[in-house]
Amino acid sequence: MNHILLFPIVFPILAGIMLLTVMKYQNRKPLLAYVGTVLGVNALWGLFAMFRVSEGVTVFYLTKSLPIYLKVDTVGRLFASLMVLVWLLGGLFSFEYMKHEKNEQRFYGFYLILCGVLFGLDFSGNLITLYLFYEFMTLTALPLVLHTQTKEAVMAGLKYLFYSFAGAYMALFGVFFIGRYAKTLEFTPGGVIDPSVFRENETLFFVVAMLMILGFSVKAGMFPMHAWLTAAHPAAPGPASAVLSGIIVKGGILALIRVVYEIIGVDFLRGSWVQQWWMILSLLTVFLGSLLAFREPVLKKRLAYSTVSQLSYILFGLSLFEVQAMTGSLLHIIAHVFIKVALFFTAAAIIYMTGCKRVEELRGVAKGMPVTMWCYTIVSLGLIGIPPTSGFISKWYLAEGALHTGIPVFSWLGPVILLLSALLTAGYLLPLSMRGFFPGEGYDAGRFAGKEPPLSMRVPLLIFAGLTLGIGLFPNVFTNILSAAADFLM
Amino acid sequence: MSRLWLCFVVVFPMLAGLFAPLVYRKKQEFFRAYLGISVLLNSVLVWLLLFHRPEAGITLFYFTGNLTIAFELDGLGCVFAGLVSFLWPLATLYSFEYMAKEEHEDIFFLFYTMTYGVTLGIALADNFLTMYCFYELLTLVTVPLVMHTLTREAILASRKYLCYSIGGAAFAFIGMIFIILYGSTTDFVLGGVLEPGKIGGKENILLLVYIFTFLGFGVKAAICPFNSWLPQAGVAPTPVTALLHAVAVVKSGAFAAMRVTYYSFGTEFLRGSFAQHFLMVIVMFTILYGCSMALKETHLKRRLAYSTISNLSYILFGVVIMTPLGLGAALTHMVCHAFMKICSFFCAGAIMHQTGRHYIHELDGFARRMPRVFAIFTVSAVALMGAPGLCGFISKWNLAAAAIDSGNVLAWFGIGCLLASALLTAMYMLTIVVRGYFPGEGFDYDSIADVKDPNFRMLLPLLIFAAAMFLLGIHSQPFVDLFMRVAQGSF
Amino acid sequence: MEMILNFPCLCILLTMFSAIISSALNRRWARYLNTFVVTLVGILSAAVLMFTLTSGKSYVYQMGHFPAPFGNEIRFGSLEAGMALFFSVIMLLSLNGGREKIRMEIDPGKEKLYYIMINLLLSSLLALVYTNDIFTAYVFVEINTISACGMIVITEHGRTIEAATRYMIMSLLGSGLFLIGICILYDMTGHLLMEYLYTSISNIMAAGTYRIPMMVAIALIVVGLAIKSALFPFHAWLPDAYGYSTVSSAAMLSSLVSKGYIFLLIKLIYRVIGFEVFFGSRIINVLFVFGLAGMIMGSVSAIRENDIRRMISYSSVAQIGYIYMGFGLGTGAGMVASAFHILSHGATKSLLFVAAVGLTDASGGHKEFDELTGAAYRNRLAGAAFLVGALSMVGIPLFSGFISKLLFAQAAVQSQGKALAALVVLAMSTVLNAIYFMKTVIRIYTPTDKKYEVTAFGYKVSYAITLGCFILLNLLLGLFSQPITNWITQGLTILQ
Repeated sequence: MNHILLFPIVFPILAGIMLLTVMKYQNRKPLLAYVGTVLGVNALWGLFAMFRVSEGVTVFYLTKSLPIYLKVDTVGRLFASLMVLVWLLGGLFSFEYMKHEKNEQRFYGFYLILCGVLFGLDFSGNLITLYLFYEFMTLTALPLVLHTQTKEAVMAGLKYLFYSFAGAYMALFGVFFIGRYAKTLEFTPGGVIDPSVFRENETLFFVVAMLMILGFSVKAGMFPMHAWLTAAHPAAPGPASAVLSGIIVKGGILALIRVVYEIIGVDFLRGSWVQQWWMILSLLTVFLGSLLAFREPVLKKRLAYSTVSQLSYILFGLSLFEVQAMTGSLLHIIAHVFIKVALFFTAAAIIYMTGCKRVEELRGVAKGMPVTMWCYTIVSLGLIGIPPTSGFISKWYLAEGALHTGIPVFSWLGPVILLLSALLTAGYLLPLSMRGFFPGEGYDAGRFAGKEPPLSMRVPLLIFAGLTLGIGLFPNVFTNILSAAADFLM
Repeated sequence: MSRLWLCFVVVFPMLAGLFAPLVYRKKQEFFRAYLGISVLLNSVLVWLLLFHRPEAGITLFYFTGNLTIAFELDGLGCVFAGLVSFLWPLATLYSFEYMAKEEHEDIFFLFYTMTYGVTLGIALADNFLTMYCFYELLTLVTVPLVMHTLTREAILASRKYLCYSIGGAAFAFIGMIFIILYGSTTDFVLGGVLEPGKIGGKENILLLVYIFTFLGFGVKAAICPFNSWLPQAGVAPTPVTALLHAVAVVKSGAFAAMRVTYYSFGTEFLRGSFAQHFLMVIVMFTILYGCSMALKETHLKRRLAYSTISNLSYILFGVVIMTPLGLGAALTHMVCHAFMKICSFFCAGAIMHQTGRHYIHELDGFARRMPRVFAIFTVSAVALMGAPGLCGFISKWNLAAAAIDSGNVLAWFGIGCLLASALLTAMYMLTIVVRGYFPGEGFDYDSIADVKDPNFRMLLPLLIFAAAMFLLGIHSQPFVDLFMRVAQGSF
Repeated sequence: MEMILNFPCLCILLTMFSAIISSALNRRWARYLNTFVVTLVGILSAAVLMFTLTSGKSYVYQMGHFPAPFGNEIRFGSLEAGMALFFSVIMLLSLNGGREKIRMEIDPGKEKLYYIMINLLLSSLLALVYTNDIFTAYVFVEINTISACGMIVITEHGRTIEAATRYMIMSLLGSGLFLIGICILYDMTGHLLMEYLYTSISNIMAAGTYRIPMMVAIALIVVGLAIKSALFPFHAWLPDAYGYSTVSSAAMLSSLVSKGYIFLLIKLIYRVIGFEVFFGSRIINVLFVFGLAGMIMGSVSAIRENDIRRMISYSSVAQIGYIYMGFGLGTGAGMVASAFHILSHGATKSLLFVAAVGLTDASGGHKEFDELTGAAYRNRLAGAAFLVGALSMVGIPLFSGFISKLLFAQAAVQSQGKALAALVVLAMSTVLNAIYFMKTVIRIYTPTDKKYEVTAFGYKVSYAITLGCFILLNLLLGLFSQPITNWITQGLTILQ
């Protein structure tokens, strides 16, 4: 019975491989029907399985000490649910968008495989399983990045790959040591290392923890290993950049939560240089990401820099080792997924309909695509953190958590930087809305006339915008669950 | 089984090889059947021997003094013999297809089949002298294979290979002399044979000699700075590069290093000495050097050869950890790497065979025309990088576990090297894969319309190797257990 | 069994008289006589060897009527008999292998002279091996030199005349030093017979007087013989002499003439100077260093050489270096190794020379490597033989060279403080050997489209048999070395 957890992992992978190797679709319709069916069935089954099964399942052993072990907990459910939602809506969006790209079958093949791999990542119950799916996430996301096959895309794809692997191997270094010293590799809140063992090898463990944090945060685009993100995300086709920026990067965050909270244990790290460096780096990234986004003229790149910055909000929240900040982080994960996916969908819709990529080309765009731009504006406000949107709630929690910790300097510096960054966020997101709605003198009104994207693109946008507002309006539903989860992790 | 079979499996392929030119006729089928049956028969015999091991060894004859030529099948020998005899029939099948285009098929198979026997001789050798003899013999029977194409390049390469190998053996020879004089016996005994009573104050000289010996055998395992023969020897036909320069020959070097370290000098004596540290540094350097050079290389087979250099030093890294876990890890990587590298070489060979292209930049878009070969190549690339779920990860995990467990801080840096090398591996392997699958916008697929997948004789070995990589990756426990038992001497 | 005791003396006389008789015969009969005598000497020596091996003792044979210490004596044990057998076998094979070349290269009118020289050479070698009198040894050293010069110069090639002159000068320098050494020894001891010399020398050394003059005398003798046997750096004459003379001459010069001197030196060390005295002196350090230098420099020169014959000659320099290195180690094991190497190198080097001539003849007489490409396909047997010789030289197991390497290395480890230097140089020398021999092997096994006029020479039955015997001899030394080393050890023990 518990093995039904395997289904949402294996089924889309097999379906994807079939699509890549055996099936040959001449027309789009059956292809889309196939993809849609698989995604739908898998989503239902996945949701069913993860809320039904709470015991762990050992699938098999890689080698004696390395079981592949699946277990679903609150964090896993959170990530998996987000993923399912984004995957479905992203699929819907891409049905339209991918019309103007070639090699659709390959795209959908990997899209499905990635879905399975992400289920695996979210369901993984120990470090090795996590690492396994983490690596395969990197690999299977690669074809999405370099889908367009332009020189730029290929270079970006390779950059993505090498940065990711550099990070993964830094983390693997830690995994090796953890594997040696830990009692078990299964995720256990509070860590799996014996305190006495930890004290004996303190320096070693600090180095290991730092390496693992640095390694996994490569995926989350933390400075100084963020450069791949701003190259890879814009290069991918629209829906792909949305899922990359929305979901894949969260893989890094998930891994960090698992490692720091459930493998090493926050009690060991609290107050150490590891925590300090983590905080410094994440705050630096928050600020730098915003600053660079502010200076970036190309819309998708600007959004990618924004991702860099926003992810470090989450990282900063995680690095505080405090319940409220943690809740804020988890909430920001949700908020950021919805917002960033919506933003990228907007960018994709604009590119799809008009072909414009740079912000200054888009004067008056809202005249032609009002629904799209309204959604854009709402989610932008969410990212800036203006009530009543989700971003406000999460930032509130983050700032409050930071002040709570009482860590010298950082307890006040953190909120200040978050605030500064919010200002910058407003600075880089809102001009598009303003220019879009209020183009000023002398613009070509006919340029964007009737460019509103088709329904299958608008619906996902509307849903995400709605969710952004919804969380902001009814935060308690989420905060209760999330703070319970955060409490559990501490 | 009777001990005589030990001799038989060594001698039989050598004789079968010697008779190959006599059997060679216009009719290819007969020739191939002869070779195929000989090789297969021998492999079956070896596997029978593995499962019904003879109680004792067999001494062929007395050389001089107490030196003998003797065979025995111990745990370590089992692993190597099993590996070699598993791969050889598949490689032979592959080379039937590959060599159909080349000249002098008879001469090629003469030496190719002889090498089988010689390699088994190394695996089954019971004492240092026997191993040394077969080690030298291995050099000699493989030189004609490197030379096969008889181009100027090939001749230079074989010359270099020969000089390096014989030179290496000359230094390993010194170690043999010391073992003869300072050991209680020249037989291989787990834990070493040095007699403390005889050493008396000569520890440092012995350690120096150990370094000589290790590096001497390391020449075949392409340890830096004695590695330059290996990429050059890539001019040989691909079955040779794949089987010999990725498995049989180079692994013989690594195998000999294991024998020397664990079975002759003994880890008790070596652990913690300057020799261990020195060799570890060299091995770590080689790991990184091989990868970096591979990244720089644009010739497909040479890139894989450099990758071999780096991966062989993984094995040697396991060896110089000098704990049973280290030996077990080294064995794991020896087996895993054999599958990964022979597979990637065979893919490269299939590409060369089908299209005659050698350089990586010529492979744009091939994945669409050779989907099967490229899919398998991708699997081997991912395995080489050490992604979990494939066999490369298992060996890396074991190596790292052994390094950590040894408590040697230098070995911890070694883990760093392994991981840096894994990253570089990802770079040099995946750029090929990406090129194949994503040739760039507007690539003209008609320009490679003539490219297509090879027939089943080439694909079958590839599929089997890919399956083996998966199997070792997700169900490695029985194998790893076996290797660990070998390393602890309980097998 | 008394009869057998006469055989050594009989051998010497037989060869000397056959040289004299040959001058009265025509060239064909001279050849027959020579072959017959060499074979007979071989058979007789074999009989002596069997006899001494079974008895395990050595015998002294008094020449003429004067008893010791005035008279002249022959002394033989198993080692001497074995060496005599080995020399005659190698000589027979070398002559047989190069027979056609002798016919082609030597003026028919002088062929008879060549066989006279050969007979003289054999007699002098036998005398060097058997004699118990140091002055007799000197006399035969000179005879040896003269006959060797004759063998070199006989082809009347410009280079050989020059080479012979050089050889003569160097050789005479060597024998001059040897003679001075003998004179000093005689002056101090009043003896020429070896036993008596030995006793006197050990007395003198024990007493501590005349230690330095004694050392000078010993040094002169050793250096003299070293020059004659072409120890580096006294090897300048060697490449030309071996490289341009007729092949039989080259084979015999390298495996017999120089080895004869070396064997004499071994005898002197054991029977005259005394094992302890010699190994206690610093001379062995000098020999050791020169030996090592020879091992490296000989090979380096060989690598640079573009002429197959000269390359093989330079390889001899390196191999002689091995032997002197064995002396220099200063252990009994080192002497055994050196003695074994006399055999193994003798067998291998003559094989190489004879095989090389087959290869060059298959390449239109060219000796340059460019022309030798693919020669092994044109003369398969010579190619195979060269391969065997090369592998043996490199020291591949199963061949004789490996055993000598093994023995040298074992001896080196037992020596005091010289182990590492000896072993490392041994290994380096192996590498260098591999470089030039294997380069040649690869070269001759590389097919070429170039056509050469096939000479009948390479396919003569006698040539084939010779090569076959050489290969067998090599394998014999490589595979069944245990009885041979036993015999050498025993022979060296009873030498004292």
